[in-house]
Amino acid sequence: MSGREDRTAPVSTGAANVLFVVPAMLLFAAFVLYPMVSAFYYAFTRWDGFTTPVWVGLANFQRAFADSVHLMSYVHVVLYILGTLVFEVSFGLAVAVLLNSDRKGFALMRGFFFSPVVLSMSAAGVLWAFVLDYRSGLLNAVLRALGAGDLAQPWLSQPGTALIAIIIVSGWKYAGFYMVIFFAALRRIPRNIYEAAVLDGAGPFTQFFSITLPLLRSNFLVAVLIAITGGFAGFDLFFTMTNGGPFSATEVPATWIMKQAFDQNQLSYGIALTVILMVVVIVVSLIYLRFSERLSVARY
Amino acid sequence: MRALKLTLLALGAALMSTTAFAQVEIRITHATTGGAEKVVLDQIVADFEAANPDIKVKQIPYDDDIYSDTGLITQLQGTDVPDIYFQWAGYPVARDAEAGYAMDLTEALASDGWGDTFTPSVWSEGAGTMWQGKPYLIPTSLDVTNTIWYNTDIFAENGLTPPATWDEFVAVVEKLAAAGETPIVEGNNELWPFGNWASHIAAKVVPEEEYAAAFSQEGKFSTPGFEKALGYIQQLHDIGAFNRDMQGLGADPAMATFIEGAAAMHPIGSWLVGTAKELGGDEFHYAQFDTPVIDPDHPLAHSVIGTVTGFIVHAKAAHPAEAIKFLKFYTNKENQTKRAEAGSLSPVEGVNEAADLDAPTKSLAAMLAEAPAMVPPPDTTYPVPVAEAYYQAAAYVATGEKSPKDALAWLDETVAVIGKQ
Amino acid sequence: MSRVIERRRRSAGEWVQFAAGAVLVAVMFYPTVWMVLSGFKSNREIFRTPFALPSVWRWENFLKAWDVGGLGQLYFNSLLVTFVAVTLCVGFATAAAFAFSRLEFPGRRLCYRVLLIGLLLPPPTVAIPLFTELKALGLLNTPWALILPGAAWSLSLTVFLMRAYFNSVRPDMEEAARIDGANVWQIFWRVSVPMVWPAMLTMIVLNTINIWNELLFALLFIVDEDKRTLPVGLIRFYGYHSTDYSLVFAALTITTVPVLLFYFLLQKQVIAGLTATAMD
Repeated sequence: MSGREDRTAPVSTGAANVLFVVPAMLLFAAFVLYPMVSAFYYAFTRWDGFTTPVWVGLANFQRAFADSVHLMSYVHVVLYILGTLVFEVSFGLAVAVLLNSDRKGFALMRGFFFSPVVLSMSAAGVLWAFVLDYRSGLLNAVLRALGAGDLAQPWLSQPGTALIAIIIVSGWKYAGFYMVIFFAALRRIPRNIYEAAVLDGAGPFTQFFSITLPLLRSNFLVAVLIAITGGFAGFDLFFTMTNGGPFSATEVPATWIMKQAFDQNQLSYGIALTVILMVVVIVVSLIYLRFSERLSVARY
Repeated sequence: MRALKLTLLALGAALMSTTAFAQVEIRITHATTGGAEKVVLDQIVADFEAANPDIKVKQIPYDDDIYSDTGLITQLQGTDVPDIYFQWAGYPVARDAEAGYAMDLTEALASDGWGDTFTPSVWSEGAGTMWQGKPYLIPTSLDVTNTIWYNTDIFAENGLTPPATWDEFVAVVEKLAAAGETPIVEGNNELWPFGNWASHIAAKVVPEEEYAAAFSQEGKFSTPGFEKALGYIQQLHDIGAFNRDMQGLGADPAMATFIEGAAAMHPIGSWLVGTAKELGGDEFHYAQFDTPVIDPDHPLAHSVIGTVTGFIVHAKAAHPAEAIKFLKFYTNKENQTKRAEAGSLSPVEGVNEAADLDAPTKSLAAMLAEAPAMVPPPDTTYPVPVAEAYYQAAAYVATGEKSPKDALAWLDETVAVIGKQ
Repeated sequence: MSRVIERRRRSAGEWVQFAAGAVLVAVMFYPTVWMVLSGFKSNREIFRTPFALPSVWRWENFLKAWDVGGLGQLYFNSLLVTFVAVTLCVGFATAAAFAFSRLEFPGRRLCYRVLLIGLLLPPPTVAIPLFTELKALGLLNTPWALILPGAAWSLSLTVFLMRAYFNSVRPDMEEAARIDGANVWQIFWRVSVPMVWPAMLTMIVLNTINIWNELLFALLFIVDEDKRTLPVGLIRFYGYHSTDYSLVFAALTITTVPVLLFYFLLQKQVIAGLTATAMD
């Protein structure tokens, strides 16, 4: 990340240079910082969006910590993040290595692998909701055709299978993104390192673990950070496929916040939950950044 | 010469624009986005504009759930408030009246005997059109929010007739399950489809004061009455009445499944009629029966679950007189008859009886007319979070996740955490 | 890369690599293919023979989906929002990145750090306060409600990547221009922007994909039917017409294929750009 800044002398100095950043800063302050800060006021009130807000102190926060769905939503989101580390980051890395070749056809394959990333979440959600449908879905149809009809289940209707289903769909959708990041980094590794290893008799797996992984360490750390912050933001897929159900088994902080705020007209409670989420994400990210800075490796 | 021409042109333009200026525009926001109902609505608007050339009507429609989540809030608090807006009777009306969004319509209803054209029951205490004794909502639709629709062909194939008592109902379900049919299909991922039905069952079993107390957070849900009510749902689960994917299925896909003939029964509201026409065509034969009598001694044993919906005039409407004129036109016999024939039963006296209704709508109208009482759905009468928590508890029992006792204990805990609404 | 490799014949290992890759990619891409094929079938066919090719290629499904779903209006709204938001974002971000990398001014470090906060924050956390703010500003239910927050939220990542790109290129050309007497503005427009254009293109593509597909804000901030963007319109469409799957898949195809084509055409640039700005 930012770290030390070893740059050459600036092209220009002077306070007037601020003008270059003013548009960005203004936009950012108006639509990112200001809402963030104003949340802190509403979190301490009771407000349904129709009537005027009433100050209630810490009541919303007390409720938040007694709210079992709210607490479980964090469990679900952590499980989801762990799932993405496997099905998106690690899988993406593996495929980046697999498809790392200049031969004909590989560029096309990389393109196809990345393509689900480009779809909108709602399109992916609708598509997979149908694939996973109990009666007429593709997956169950395949199982029945293969004679494994007993395995056919209402995947999105059972608390046990719903979250896993979403994790897998998320993997399908985003593995390509991480693949591209790792692939771009792989390209920067000089060929001769691998050639030397091959001469020493190292097979593909040894090459991967002794050369590739260590050299990709910093990329991997950044990818994990993206997976973590992205995971906490998870909303679209959960909303489209199960909307937090069944029985709140796939409820994550973002979907629960939206439900509380809008479906039940309790805007202030939703905002309090939002403040908690903000704090959690920032704390987790800072801890992770500190941890990853320690592991940072020198640039090549 | 040129100057004269120009002046005349300018005058002409000015005259035209002043006539345009004299035209008043009233804004109506509502949740009717399609189907036969929308067609009739557009027709009524067109007829009104033709009869009143100085009034233009602008419609601002939203999808049902967007309307109640953010659509209405945005409209009510915007700078350009709607003159008229759609609302459900009960708690929402009280809240709007209290917050100052709704206009007191006592005078308007008194003029020309407008108020008397409606069936007297819509102005009763429980109907939810009034607040502190004054009327705020002009009722325009009677909705049955839950009844049991059934596929007459499947019933005939299995030699079944609509049950009159709960035990008969259970027998019907068992026979269907044994024959390999899906007895009941429900799409409960939003909780209210089954929740509505479960509320009706509870209303027929739980003593009235206990029911009201629990939902208004003045009493507990863990009572023998509620346990008994949920027990009936558990009974249905145990005999395999429900579709396995009930909790993951949406309301619309479930209705589609029923219309395709993949299930025998589908408990849902009166709006099924419009969709069945669109999707079922001539090959789909269906009818309905109300949730059977469970406890014949209960005062609500033969009740129907439903609600009134209608329009509120905004307290700060720019053109209240024109708005009221439109509503009077909308609720006149002729237009209400058109609406009834499109599937929206009318609260105006005499309309439902005289209209040319199709068979299912006719049976709904008869059911409404004969019912001694109408139970409102809890999410329009009581705080929404409490009602939804009850729906959740009922879903737990229907899918076998919790026993009635555990579900009710969970319910009381959850409601306690929510705090007094 | 070395040309020598190209002319060598493939080893057995490389064939295995190719086969494994092909199978994997085929499985990954199949759902998309299936979606497109289903768009050509009738509703009955989708249920009866889900894996078969369409017996009749029903092009009329697409026309009907376009019509019924109001896809024309949805496309227009999405195009408008995306175009303006991406222009604002990449424009402002490049200027800011230029300043963070090449210039010195009071508060430089602080401003950069503040912008990075956006990388950590999940958008749902400010959705509700943002809703209230937009309502107060009277922007709710207008395209600006999506353009401004959309651009604002993409700033952090864009600035971060653009600055990294600037840092990876020596400022020799800019130095030369300065010696020639150009002022900061001229250096920026005439030298820097053309220089970082490849990275800008990558950011344009990435931000376009993100903003085009944005769902949460679009769901909350736009309530009028005729102002909706594609993702929201799709969900509404699915709910209302969920019974007619052929229509749903036709609509899905219409909304996803153009984006896919857009990506495939610009694939090279995206990868090149990401390589250059590579996560450091």
